[in-house]
Amino acid sequence: MSGSRVDMKIVLLGKEFGGKTSLVERFLHDRFHGEAPYQATIGAAFGAKRIEVVGKSLILGIWDTAGSERYEAMSRIYYRGAKAAIVCYDMTDSESFARVCFWVKELRNNEENCKIYLCGTKKDLVDENKNNRKVDYHMVTDYADEIRAKVFETSAKTGENIRNLFLKIAEDYTMDPVNKQQQEKDTLNLQEPTKKKRCC
Amino acid sequence: MSQGHKRFHINEQELLCKNGCGFYGNPAWQGFCSKCWREEYQKAKNAQLQIDEQNKMMKQKTPVGAEGKAPSFSKFEEKKKRESDKRTHTVKSLFRKSSSKDIAAEQVAKREAMKRLSSESQQVGEGFADFLRNLSKPAALDVSKHIRALIEKIQQNPDVTVDEHSEIIQDFYQSMGDRLQTHPVYKGLTHTTSDKLMDYMEKYIMTRLYRAVFCSMWSDDEEQDLIIQKRIRSLHWVSEQNLEASISVNEPSVRALVDSAITDIIEMDSKRAPQDKLASVVRCSNHIFEALKASQNNEPASADDFLPALIYIVLQANPPRLQSNIKYITRFSNPSRLMSGEAGYYFTNLCCVVAFIENLNAESLNMTPEEFEGYMSGKLVPRDSKEGHICEGLRLMYQNLANLSELRQRHEKVMAEAMQLQQEIVEFKENFKKEIQSVLTKNPWTIKPRKTKVDLDAESPATDMLPPPLIPQIVGEPMVVQHDQSNANSTDMTTEPHVTVTDTAVEE
Repeated sequence: MSGSRVDMKIVLLGKEFGGKTSLVERFLHDRFHGEAPYQATIGAAFGAKRIEVVGKSLILGIWDTAGSERYEAMSRIYYRGAKAAIVCYDMTDSESFARVCFWVKELRNNEENCKIYLCGTKKDLVDENKNNRKVDYHMVTDYADEIRAKVFETSAKTGENIRNLFLKIAEDYTMDPVNKQQQEKDTLNLQEPTKKKRCC
Repeated sequence: MSQGHKRFHINEQELLCKNGCGFYGNPAWQGFCSKCWREEYQKAKNAQLQIDEQNKMMKQKTPVGAEGKAPSFSKFEEKKKRESDKRTHTVKSLFRKSSSKDIAAEQVAKREAMKRLSSESQQVGEGFADFLRNLSKPAALDVSKHIRALIEKIQQNPDVTVDEHSEIIQDFYQSMGDRLQTHPVYKGLTHTTSDKLMDYMEKYIMTRLYRAVFCSMWSDDEEQDLIIQKRIRSLHWVSEQNLEASISVNEPSVRALVDSAITDIIEMDSKRAPQDKLASVVRCSNHIFEALKASQNNEPASADDFLPALIYIVLQANPPRLQSNIKYITRFSNPSRLMSGEAGYYFTNLCCVVAFIENLNAESLNMTPEEFEGYMSGKLVPRDSKEGHICEGLRLMYQNLANLSELRQRHEKVMAEAMQLQQEIVEFKENFKKEIQSVLTKNPWTIKPRKTKVDLDAESPATDMLPPPLIPQIVGEPMVVQHDQSNANSTDMTTEPHVTVTDTAVEE
């Protein structure tokens, strides 16, 4: 899908090597870096995928961003107009969660209508060995409640929770009264001309 | 009178009309009489007009149609006929089909606007007209009416700021988008067709208005272009390592991709419609992804790899009028394109790159401020700056020179080895000779006479010296010999001394 028509823009934020790209890769093509020979995808920075939710078909456009601190100043350009932001942190790296707070603050200040989803990555490593976990789940959920965000702990390697994450995003989008209004307006508009035609 | 003429050596023949119609001619009319002159002049004028018209046809779309409404001067009649014969398929040919009067009238008004159409506009116009032909007639008419109104609106107000232009056009996209959904004329259009229609409208309008709104005098775009251009030029020393871009630029296959990415981003300036400019950006990005993939063992690149690479490409390319192009796309592109789709993503990255370049400092390149200043002022020159900033031809030349010198070295080595081999051969020969000599001196040799065949029957002095052959003597009774063999043996034993003698003779 080339993605010329996209209904919803989702921006991915997170520290470098935090697993953002693998997340996109898993969602778009249902595969993981290490496994299976790659086909002819040239990049995993932008992707579009159609998703069915609540009887509606939506095309999600997923924007990956560069996580390096040197580009922090420009991140605002990326999330302009985004309906949802997935802020990723590496569950095995406590530092990556500190950066989550930075992005959340940025988003709250600049893009009020953007919904935030906190996404812990590399769950497979934590499941393998509990000692690998460096970010406490309850700490994250407390923080998420505070900022009215949802938390998903995912693994791109096993695919765990990734589809749920995107389904939830799409669902929230369609259920959101602001967007609903938009859609209703469209349907209303479509009906009007037929009435007019009859009048004439 | 006739006397006067004679005085000036002008005979009556010269005074008469050149045409020989019998009337007097006039030098002011090139020797024709007034009537003949008018005819002649008209012919020339018509011919001139025709040539002009042909020239115009080459460059521009000629205004056609509107037969009934155009002022019909008799002298133009002929020309017009010719013109309509040469009529090409243009946007206008569509309108010709409809006999609607107000459309014809509008065409007259549009003549002025059409006069200076460039070839780009023509091409887009033709494509658009082809597309409109597939639509229903009322829909096509509605679209063209709105577009014409918009173009006139903009062209008649050249003095408003570019932001107002942008607003007008954005409003147009908005209202046309709504109109396509709601108006009965457009009923039955599929989603893809209406999207395509919007695309075509955007393309056509922006191609037509490009000169009016791109880099307009009412904005400071040009200054900003110069600022960023200077900035990029002063950053020429930034290498892909500085940016931590994982592109192996020196690999030929990657280099080719990088070069095409650079070409694409430069090409953006030559395109007119926003979507074409965006298409250049997308092409450039795709080449960058391929280059990244080729440099990283075929792993698909992520945004973490892509952004530094794009920065590197922009620094290398220094695209002309970068700021103007970005602002033009932001102002005049259909917003849905920029907000979400693939083109929007790459365009956002490009904006990000420009912001990064503007605010680039020592920290963003992981170097000390002193180092940064040193590079900026040209005091420090990066080691590999030569490698990174030369054009393809020079690079090839350097590479060839390197190859040649390596070849030369190898050649010299081969030559040296050959010489050594020769030397060794000579030495071996000498040594061999010497050795043979030494062996000879140690073991002197003598030549023995050739052995002759011994002829046992030949006469020789030695045989002369031999005693005469023994004559067998009968020792006992002959009867006994004949009688008993064993006895004979015993007699042999007795003759033993004789046998020995013969034996020695044979040995000698």
